[in-house]
Amino acid sequence: MATTEVEHSKDWLGARLARKEDQRLLAGDGRYLADIVLPGTLHAVFVRSEYAHARILEIDSSEARAMTGVVAIYTGADIKDVIKSMPQPVLLPNLPARYPTFWPLAIDTVKFHGEPVALVIARDKYVAEDAAESVFVDYEELEPILDPERALEADCAHVHEGDGGNEIFAMSFCGGETEQEKQANNEEVEKIFEHAAYTVKERFRVQRTGITPMEPRGVLCEWNDSDGLTAYITTQRPHIDRLALIDILDISAEKVRVIAPRDQGGGFGVKAPFYRENLIIAHAARELKRPVRWIESRYESLMNVGQERDQINTLEIAANENGKLLAVRNHCITDNGVGTTGVYWGFVMPFLGNVELPNAYTWDKGDVRLQVATTNKACLTPSRAFGHFPIRFALERAIDMIAHKMAIEPSTLRRQNLIPSLPYTSVTNEYYDSGDFLKVWDNLMDQADLSSFRAEQARAREAGRYLGIGFACGVELSGVASEQLVPMENQPGYGAATVRLDPRGKVLVFGGDAPAGQGHETTAAQVVAAEFAINPADVVLKTGDTGTTPFGAGSIGARAGSYFVSAVSDACTQLKDKITRILAHDLQIEASLQHFEFKNGEVIYLGDDTKRQSFKDIVERIIMFPINMPEGEVGGLETTAFFEAAKPMICFNADCCVVEVDIDSGEFKILRWVTSEDVGNVINPMVVDGQMHGAIVQGLSNAMFEEFIYDDQGQQLTADFEHYKLATAADVPDIEITYAPTPCPHTPLGTRGIGEGRPSSVPGALANAVCDALTPFGIEITQLPLRPNLVWKHLRDARQQSDH
Amino acid sequence: MINIKLTVNGEVFEDTVTERMLLVDYLRDQLTLTGTHVGCTYEGVCGACTVHLDGEAVKSCLLLAAQADGHEITTVEGLANGGPLSALQQSFSDEHGLQCGFCTPGILMNMSEFLTLNPDPTDDEIRHGLIGNLCRCTGYVQIVKAVRNAARAMRETS
Repeated sequence: MATTEVEHSKDWLGARLARKEDQRLLAGDGRYLADIVLPGTLHAVFVRSEYAHARILEIDSSEARAMTGVVAIYTGADIKDVIKSMPQPVLLPNLPARYPTFWPLAIDTVKFHGEPVALVIARDKYVAEDAAESVFVDYEELEPILDPERALEADCAHVHEGDGGNEIFAMSFCGGETEQEKQANNEEVEKIFEHAAYTVKERFRVQRTGITPMEPRGVLCEWNDSDGLTAYITTQRPHIDRLALIDILDISAEKVRVIAPRDQGGGFGVKAPFYRENLIIAHAARELKRPVRWIESRYESLMNVGQERDQINTLEIAANENGKLLAVRNHCITDNGVGTTGVYWGFVMPFLGNVELPNAYTWDKGDVRLQVATTNKACLTPSRAFGHFPIRFALERAIDMIAHKMAIEPSTLRRQNLIPSLPYTSVTNEYYDSGDFLKVWDNLMDQADLSSFRAEQARAREAGRYLGIGFACGVELSGVASEQLVPMENQPGYGAATVRLDPRGKVLVFGGDAPAGQGHETTAAQVVAAEFAINPADVVLKTGDTGTTPFGAGSIGARAGSYFVSAVSDACTQLKDKITRILAHDLQIEASLQHFEFKNGEVIYLGDDTKRQSFKDIVERIIMFPINMPEGEVGGLETTAFFEAAKPMICFNADCCVVEVDIDSGEFKILRWVTSEDVGNVINPMVVDGQMHGAIVQGLSNAMFEEFIYDDQGQQLTADFEHYKLATAADVPDIEITYAPTPCPHTPLGTRGIGEGRPSSVPGALANAVCDALTPFGIEITQLPLRPNLVWKHLRDARQQSDH
Repeated sequence: MINIKLTVNGEVFEDTVTERMLLVDYLRDQLTLTGTHVGCTYEGVCGACTVHLDGEAVKSCLLLAAQADGHEITTVEGLANGGPLSALQQSFSDEHGLQCGFCTPGILMNMSEFLTLNPDPTDDEIRHGLIGNLCRCTGYVQIVKAVRNAARAMRETS
């Protein structure tokens, strides 16, 4: 067993330890939200809009109300004067935007296909389904607004009446603070483009897609008048959800407890917002004084959440005759959907995405503009590679396109323009703290062996086979610092952990975030085991319960390997300091933490190794026998540490993809996928590999298969897994992960948070490989999804052109 | 209502259920065997609800409880049945073949049947054997490895 391979404390960091979570999950003993049952639980089913845009003329629920087992039915009219409307300050970013007004259930008008119109609550879930089916809603159809570019035109009707336009958010970056500074910057950028030896300008379109977790959303609320509200929610942010419930439902703060179940079936950003469904279920539980549960169906899920990307990026880049990249200019239009999702509102993702546009390259100047349009579609919700999946596809494609114009290897152009040393501040004012981009890149090129590939490619082409190689890279956030999270989401970014030592020598850790499969229990146990030189089996992590955990902004933005484990480490250091102060006193020596070693379950004085005590005994002595203490010391061993890095932090990765394209059908096969990663110091390589594999396949699935399609009346046509296709095992390749790490100097363990942004470089590498294979045809892919029919159309057009 | 008698994980149950009750709901809600999961709208695509019916992997969201009358059902809880993990389960832990664990029970049930039919599969065969199970976390890489290693371990001990 892996647990016995490690003898010494520090070796737990970097150990390939089997996860503590696995035993229960493999035996079928997980406890997900749908597995939690309270006595007398009622089942809730939503009646949802069948139209993208319509006026509600009448809701007739008389037949449903008459059914045996139906307990309550709510419509918008029932709650409009009872529940506060959103937006409320607790869910507002500190960004100027045109925030729409809405309630948990539609009032008068429905604004997207799938919007909640009524809520049916029954004793039995089958009866609740029947009753919901029988609720009759009479609609008067209205013209839906579905095209984001049309939505931004002055003469377009408005999705939200009376709010002055469909542009929910707009911003320009790079140009300083004042209009004058911006204009001066943009004129300089224009001048660069006028005189540059090489330029590329393309319109890049990426479809509506995102990362749909396997477990849909769910809420179970319980109310009693003495304790108040206990809400079990599938959520990445229990502490934020709690504040939202307090403020919007006007419940006294001490009476609200939110619990994210210990086991959650994936989040990937989808479980990060605060949703309107949570509010109405909590409200119903409070009114009925009975537990109420809503388990989202997959149909509802695909209709409402997991929709992201959906950007049009008109991107330009300029380079001089030596291949130095000079300037980047982008106009991003994002289709936001209806914009009624708390915390993010749909536009926070493209906001950050545009900040991340410059990637790992040294640009002299930039001009980046963003317009986000409200439409009659589901609101965008966060998805892994938050906001920058389309934009990075565009940039990484543009780099290859300009290299093609220069007739040089795209990989050479990339290396030449990588930021040579860090720290660095990008043209969009993003701070990159540390790392070695060239080291990561050179490792990737060693793996790729480009010259051998080019020889193989030439031989294959002679035999009528079309092989291609593609590269891309990505700078990603390692956690989200307060200085980013406060403006963006109105929340702190620090990590928090409580470490409680037990008189029997065990350790309990409490974290305020809410993981969904990332292996926090194992990772935290390895950190604690390394700090105290004990076994990870003796460490338990509890997460997700606002009643027991310190405040945390949630499991978002690669916060585990950056902020959370750093807080755990700092808390351990504080406890070690106390342990050694008291041990020094007991041993009658003048010594402090630096004079002791924690090793193999013992605390040993370095000046005389006969002076030692077992970890278990000294812990028990301090907790249970706090007599004969040093002056000013009291007993007990528990502390909470908050970690905030001095500066925002990053990680970095690069991808290489090899494909073969069938030029008759347009079909392509990925022959090889190899990566190079800077994730800093690794705590558990198996867990990190797994994060990378998953993220890359999510990127491939988004790039090749997944697409949310609305018809011209705004009907959502892809709300089941037969029409919204996720990659299966047979669709995707094996993946080789390699590492070229630089320890992060701003975390106590040198670790970096990883995994969140990781899908972003995938579509660029894939499309670049396909285009490389098709070099004889001069094909440049500028849209996703990249499917055989798209390749086939490009090939057909290229052949027709060459015929003329 | 309809009377049914069936064996689940070796235990005999006699119950009265509604005609329309799905097998997955019977297992989860009535027998509280919550290891079997629901990940799609009872459309048989995600595979998280896969169980064995008389040794054959089936999707319990596409069957009625009534159809299980007289049959033998095994769920993920029955793989180890309170004892040590099976070779396949252990291999998933050793190779990190799961992350959130939501799809895992269905994959275990599918692959445990698969390996009885094909004890020495290629990676390609494993990948095609998995197309009835969607996983969002792992990218399938370590699932394939876990199944491959389990197959080897099972061949060596048989």
